[in-house]
Amino acid sequence: MTNAPLTTVDGRAITLQSVSKIWGDSRAVDDLSIEVPAGTFTALLGPSGCGKSTTLRMIAGLESVDEGRIRIGDEEVNERAPSKRDLSMVFQSYALFPHLSVAENIVFGLKVRRVSRADRDARLNRVADLLGLSALLERKPAQLSGGQQQRVALGRAIIGEKPVCLMDEPLSNLDAKLRQEMRTEIRALQQQLGFTMVYVTHDQVEAITMADQVVLLNKGRLEQAATPRDLYERPATPFSARFVGTPPMNLIPASALKPLAQADTLLIGVRPEALILDPKGPITAKVKTVEYHGADTLAECSINSEPMQVRLSGGSVVTAGDTVSFGFAAEALHVFDVMQNCRRDDLLPEIGAMLCS
Amino acid sequence: MNRPAFSVDRLLNTSAAWLLALLWFLPLCYAVWTAFHPAAFEAHFVLTAPLTLENFEEAWAAAPFARYFFNTFLLVTLILICQFVLCTLAAYAFVRFDFPGRTILFTLVLLQLLVMPDILMVENYKTMRLLDLVDTIPAIALPYIASGFGIFLLRQTFMTIPKELDEAARIEGASFMGVLSKVYIPLAKPTYLAYGLVSVSHHWNNFLWPLIVTNSEDTRPVTVGLSIFSAIDSGVEWSVINAATLMTSGPLLIGFLLFQRQFVQSFMRAGIK
Repeated sequence: MTNAPLTTVDGRAITLQSVSKIWGDSRAVDDLSIEVPAGTFTALLGPSGCGKSTTLRMIAGLESVDEGRIRIGDEEVNERAPSKRDLSMVFQSYALFPHLSVAENIVFGLKVRRVSRADRDARLNRVADLLGLSALLERKPAQLSGGQQQRVALGRAIIGEKPVCLMDEPLSNLDAKLRQEMRTEIRALQQQLGFTMVYVTHDQVEAITMADQVVLLNKGRLEQAATPRDLYERPATPFSARFVGTPPMNLIPASALKPLAQADTLLIGVRPEALILDPKGPITAKVKTVEYHGADTLAECSINSEPMQVRLSGGSVVTAGDTVSFGFAAEALHVFDVMQNCRRDDLLPEIGAMLCS
Repeated sequence: MNRPAFSVDRLLNTSAAWLLALLWFLPLCYAVWTAFHPAAFEAHFVLTAPLTLENFEEAWAAAPFARYFFNTFLLVTLILICQFVLCTLAAYAFVRFDFPGRTILFTLVLLQLLVMPDILMVENYKTMRLLDLVDTIPAIALPYIASGFGIFLLRQTFMTIPKELDEAARIEGASFMGVLSKVYIPLAKPTYLAYGLVSVSHHWNNFLWPLIVTNSEDTRPVTVGLSIFSAIDSGVEWSVINAATLMTSGPLLIGFLLFQRQFVQSFMRAGIK
């Protein structure tokens, strides 16, 4: 038996141009444009019902595209059947064929495409080795654990050596520990084999840790497409700011802060972990509850009835009922405009000067 | 506390079950008794009665049962194969494809379930004459091939198959027919088995239509052959008639006994009673 690594593939770029999906009178996906560079890992992130799965299914060809164009590689694929798009997909439910053994499940696509038996067996051996499934090949999916089923689904997706792989929340049925393992494994697999990955998830941790590019969707519209670092450090909209990071970024109406009382369309954003105790700080808040976590302490505060969360280092002592002042570094400041739903970097120096003296 | 009530209830249930079972079983018992004993013991039940196979020999020699069996076998196979093909394709179309008039067509299929086939006998006979098929085996089979029950049953089964399996197979490159043969049909196996049993036993026992549409020895199925055989006025004995009856229903009976467990299981899985 050969233990040669799987052949790497040349990923293909995927481009969505103003793509929309319309159900009756609601737009599940609305004027969405995304660039997925070849060979990269892109995560489609968003709350449930934001259209991320629909977008993935449109790329796969399982849903028709109502407006706009989808290109894979150099070709437009709008009218192409799923089987002609040269891609593989992992479903949330894994979609393993219950009447076929693990081996038959994995080589299903090769068999359909009439790949020779010798080639099929050789590839099956390599994939089974890679995923640690060699001992399970004769079993039926019902006899496997959730994690093993997940691996079989992965095997079926990679054995075809397709340039594009789509995954629809593949880890949501696993327990936390296994999810973390599989996260690393899927990412390693993608980098090793070189295909283009589009990965749907509602879990921001998954998106942030795995992806080269995160595409954040909300109500069918694009909120932000950026690298995980940019998404965390420079969120483009108030929604992005709140969606990424645990606990989420504090967005305080500027009117709640004394120096900015007249700028009522602005939101001041500061992450809970960027706030520090500072008697001369610009933010004065009343502590409502305190949660001690060991390494840090999570304090729920309010400024003129606006809620705010603070993550303080373990040593800091605050108690519920205290009125405390907080400060932060100028780099930790974010300013958003509510009316235009955007980030206002042009106001940063001015407001920074007012707040972080 | 609930023990007395429980046992009365149980007693009633058990005795009713036994009574019904006996009622159902008695004619069969009688047939077996007369078939295996000389004619003199037809109504004279003693344990010392001599056993014999002569009745079977006599019946087999008296009418061309081999031919009848062959005809029935041919008929049942033909109907079953055609029904499987037609019902599978129709059910797949109803489940997988969205075409205009789908609901109306499916309602028509369901309506077919309400129509007794016997009502259409005259009309069917006219059609068969028009097709010049009277007195052939396809003529017996044709009116039953498009089965509303089969389409309905398979459609319900196909609908329980998760859509992701279909989609996964399509992404892996399977054509529409490939998805049908590699995903839907294997997963609907219990339904095919159950439906096959219903169809085979129904058409094995079907009598009226074959009686009307056939009129020669070469096309008659066993049921018609048996009735003609036993209707002869020349005083054929009960023992011989019963021997013939046992012969004709024998294969079905043995088949059911052998596969009883599988049948019951597949009926449960297919969800029909």
